[in-house]
Amino acid sequence: MAKESMMTGCRAAAEGAKAAEVEVICSYPIRPYTAIMMELAKMVANGELNAEFIHGEGEHAQVSVVLGASAAGARAYTGSSGVGVTYAMEVYSPMAGGRYPVQMSIADRTLDPPGDFGSEHTDAMSTRDQGWLLGWAATPQEVYDNTLMAYRIGEDHRVMLPQMVCQDGYFISHIPDKVTIGEASQVKEFLPPYRPIHPLSLTNPVSHGPQIRPDQGAPMDAMRAQTFLAVPKVIEEATADFARIFGRKYDPFVEQYKLDDAEIAFFIMGAHSNTARTAVDKLRKEGVKAGLARLRWVRPWPTHQLAEALGHVKAVGVIETSTSYGSAMRGGNLIHELRASLYDLDDRPLVTSFMGGLGGETIWPADFDYMAGVLTKMVKEKRTDRYVYWLGM
Amino acid sequence: MPAFDYKFQKLEPIRSFKSVPEDEQYLPGHRTCAGCGPALNYRLVAKAAGKDTIFIGPTGCMYVANASYLCTPYAVSWIHAQITNAGAVASGIEAAFKMAARKGRHTGPFPNIIVMGGDGGSVDIGLQAMSGMMYRGHKVLFICYDNESYANTGIQTSPTTPYGAATTFTPPGKEIPEGKTLFPKNVPQMVIGGHPAVKYVATTTIAHPLDLMNKVRKALSKPGPTFLHILCPCPKGWLFDEKLTPDMAKLAVETGMWSNYEWEDGVYKYTQVPKKYKPVSDYMKPQGRFAHLKPEHIAKMQAFVDEKIKQVQRPIPVAAPVPAAQHA
Repeated sequence: MAKESMMTGCRAAAEGAKAAEVEVICSYPIRPYTAIMMELAKMVANGELNAEFIHGEGEHAQVSVVLGASAAGARAYTGSSGVGVTYAMEVYSPMAGGRYPVQMSIADRTLDPPGDFGSEHTDAMSTRDQGWLLGWAATPQEVYDNTLMAYRIGEDHRVMLPQMVCQDGYFISHIPDKVTIGEASQVKEFLPPYRPIHPLSLTNPVSHGPQIRPDQGAPMDAMRAQTFLAVPKVIEEATADFARIFGRKYDPFVEQYKLDDAEIAFFIMGAHSNTARTAVDKLRKEGVKAGLARLRWVRPWPTHQLAEALGHVKAVGVIETSTSYGSAMRGGNLIHELRASLYDLDDRPLVTSFMGGLGGETIWPADFDYMAGVLTKMVKEKRTDRYVYWLGM
Repeated sequence: MPAFDYKFQKLEPIRSFKSVPEDEQYLPGHRTCAGCGPALNYRLVAKAAGKDTIFIGPTGCMYVANASYLCTPYAVSWIHAQITNAGAVASGIEAAFKMAARKGRHTGPFPNIIVMGGDGGSVDIGLQAMSGMMYRGHKVLFICYDNESYANTGIQTSPTTPYGAATTFTPPGKEIPEGKTLFPKNVPQMVIGGHPAVKYVATTTIAHPLDLMNKVRKALSKPGPTFLHILCPCPKGWLFDEKLTPDMAKLAVETGMWSNYEWEDGVYKYTQVPKKYKPVSDYMKPQGRFAHLKPEHIAKMQAFVDEKIKQVQRPIPVAAPVPAAQHA
């Protein structure tokens, strides 16, 4: 029987990587994701996991090592947090362009300055134009599950893309919760071995990553864009298969909570969605028709699914845990893409955003009351006063 | 965990030009300049290593001028690395083949994994990844093909560009008459001195093809990381007649600007040592990059070379490498 125990998101990620029988792991310490590598190091040292555990000399090396390993046909795993994620920035586009389906586990951390251990999504969000699959978990269980699902999706021959499996630092990475670890037979049924298409080989020589002429660039970019159009179907299949085999059902792209008759909705991803769900329950008791949409994948962005989930709502409050200073909506990142997703609707909702959870700050139940107040006022006045509100200020 | 058995090939020394393999692993079809030293080096290295080889090519001339989409010149597997990360990419490839061998997916000989890095990709922006790889003890041959500048971007100074050379970042002028004012990094000594897992380090030039090929073979026969520093003159960057490429390398050795040696198990062995060194001006004169220098600059270069020559007689002592098992 699959067994349930209490564990942190970091431990859950390591258990997921172990279940996936990753073959090459590259580590470098930075809080808070470090605990994932500490767990994996123990597993390798104890002989529970047959893998090459390589101590990278930095995050740039971590991502480079797993690139080489994946190119040579191994299932490869790494991870990081905060400025570690951005230090490796150069290697993300060669990884995605080379179609190496490695996995990187991110426990979010604020970028410097100032030095701050707290969670904030800007680290991984800043990689969103690099061509990786990018998704957020909201519980340690979902971290474990996403680890397996992301490998299955990324290694699918219709996809062949690297994946960032993200979780909020501390809120998820370091607070234990109930996690059920799958049976080996379940994992085996769900996740086939990695089958590289053109690995570096002695018997079938290949050239990876040659130079192109400018006129060869656009067709290649178009092919990658085309690939991303094919990813949603693969995500749906994998999520459905996961539910069938492991008995845990996820909405493939957007978790919808009490949205059917909602007038106002929170749009959120990651750890604070747990507080948001409780806040929705409380608001409902008070007679406010509130609902919640939780984003599971940022790349590919579920444009149509969001239009379907939120199109009927009167006002949406985007809770932003990342920054994009000077951007169109003046605050975070998600609001731009959500507004774009809703733009073609005849009767689209009003949308504003709330900067919350920055620097690792908690988003409190009272903050949701405040946000519900703003959204209700927007519905009443039929207009959006501001693009962005900063919570707690 | 027991030490990994690499089952790597034993490549026999090449005794004479008659016994050089006929097979080419680096083929025509590239776009290097006439008289390109690094391209000649690539051909010799690939010939010596043979077909069971994987090249890692960080950005540099040997990427940009070689690896054109749909017509790369490599008859063996090759992968581009960033100019920053060849050592790390090579580490991952080596680890993947170890796992494939452990799990029975790879049954043949362990590949000759060779990084072909320029001076920038080896000891400037690529230094960290190279050092990490050497420290961890991956079985990879890291080659620094040294053309003494960032040549493909238009001849900018690198840490191996000699004192006094004009580059597009060190142009001689009224205030800075000698052009480049710094002396170069000592590449092989950095590798030898700081990396206990390294098994073998050697220097050679494209003017000494048998020596070069045999050093490649010896390096590939070692059970851990190895390093070759190979002088590859660059007509475009050094501004000499392109038919003189091997002559420039030969003159470098004859004047003491460059020394061919190998370091094996803590012991130095020098080869091609001149009985009497020629003056360094013999080497500098045919090269346009030194044309602006005044006698006092050339004297400064001669003093630098005189110090280098002393090291040939008294090699720097360094600790013997650690046993193989610790880094297997």
